[in-house]
Amino acid sequence: MSATAGPGEERRHPAFAHASEAELARILDFYDVRWEYEPHVFPILWSLDGDVLESFTPDFFLPDLDIYVELTTLRQRLVRKKNRKLRRLRELYPYVRIKLLYARDFRMLMLKYGKLALADALSGTVGQVVPAGRAGSPATKSGAVLREDAGALAGSGSGSRHRRGDRQKASTGTASRPAVGAADEATAASE
Amino acid sequence: MDLTDDVAETLLEEAQIQAKVAELGRRISADYAGHEVTLVSVLKGALPFMADLMRQLTVPVRIDLMEVSSYGGTATESSGLVRIIKDLSSSIDGRDVLLVEDIIDTGLTLNYLIRYLRGKNPASLRICTLLDKPARRLVEIPVDYVGFTIPDQFVVGYGLDYNELYRNLRFVGVLRPEVYAS
Repeated sequence: MSATAGPGEERRHPAFAHASEAELARILDFYDVRWEYEPHVFPILWSLDGDVLESFTPDFFLPDLDIYVELTTLRQRLVRKKNRKLRRLRELYPYVRIKLLYARDFRMLMLKYGKLALADALSGTVGQVVPAGRAGSPATKSGAVLREDAGALAGSGSGSRHRRGDRQKASTGTASRPAVGAADEATAASE
Repeated sequence: MDLTDDVAETLLEEAQIQAKVAELGRRISADYAGHEVTLVSVLKGALPFMADLMRQLTVPVRIDLMEVSSYGGTATESSGLVRIIKDLSSSIDGRDVLLVEDIIDTGLTLNYLIRYLRGKNPASLRICTLLDKPARRLVEIPVDYVGFTIPDQFVVGYGLDYNELYRNLRFVGVLRPEVYAS
C-alpha cells in the first residue's frame, strides 16, 4: 500500500490487542499523524544471569513527534502495575518520552469526539480482542492477552509502521540494557 | 431552559476572561509593533475569543477564518481524514500570521493546521489560545500566547460547545457529567 494513501483507500491496521487501540489508531490516521504499533520492547527487569524478566512495550510510537503512547482502559489494579512499570521505564530510559492515557483520558477523548458510548463499551477488559494469529498467546488472570512472550524480548521486534494505513515492518526490537534490576517483581511478560 | 443549569461550576468568570483578553491584546500588540498581523481563527469555538481579541489589538489587523472537520463528526469521517471545510479566503504568503484557538488539548488539530498553514509560506506563524489543557496533550506544540491553563475537565461556554450548545455562555464552566452521560 502506498505511504500516501488518501481518503477512501483501505487502511490496513495490525491486529490490535484492544479495541481502544484501534480507535486511537483511527484518530491518529484521521489527523494524519504517523504511528507505529508496538515497535519497541524495553526490558525493565533482568535476572542476575542477565535474562530479561520483565519488559514494557508501549502501544504506539509517533515517529514524527518522537513520543510513545501507552493506552489503558483496564481497571485500577492493573493500572497500578502499569504505573510501576512506567516509573521503571522512566528511570532506566530517561530519554524516552511516553504518554500514558488512562481509561479516564480515553473516555474524555471519546467525549470530545462525541463517542462516549464507545468509551463505555471499551472500558475494562470488554474491549480485549484476541488477534487471530495470537489465539494461543498466554493470558493474564483478567483475560488480557499478552502481546509478547518472554522469548520475544530477546530481540525480534515485529511492530507495524503506518502512515495513512501504510504498513511496513519496523526494524527495531529490544532496547539496549542499561542496568540490572531486582528480580522480585518479575512477571516475564510485557504489557 | 436555562443552559447555566447544566454547568456544575464556573471556571472562568466573564470579567476574568475579558481582563485576560485585554492583557493578551497588549502583549500581542507590543510583539507585532510596526507590523501588520493576520489573525486566523478556527471555527466555530474560537469565534468569540477572536472577536474580542482583535478589538484589543492596536496594530493593523486582517482576519481570516478556517474550519476543519473533527474526528467522529459523522460515521464516515471516523474512517476518513481530516479535511478543510472552510479554507482561508486570502493568501497568507509573506504575512505575519497569528493562529487564534479557543482551546488546545490533544494538539492533534493544531498540529494539522500548523503544517497546513506553514505550507502557505507565511512570513511568521505564531499561536494564541485562550485555554490550554496540557494534561491531555498528545502533540507537544510551543504556544506563544496562552490565556489560561485549565485542569482536565470538560468545559463549555465562550465559544466552547457540547453537542453544539453552550457556545453563547459568557463564561467558561464545567459541564455537569450527567449532561453528557445521559
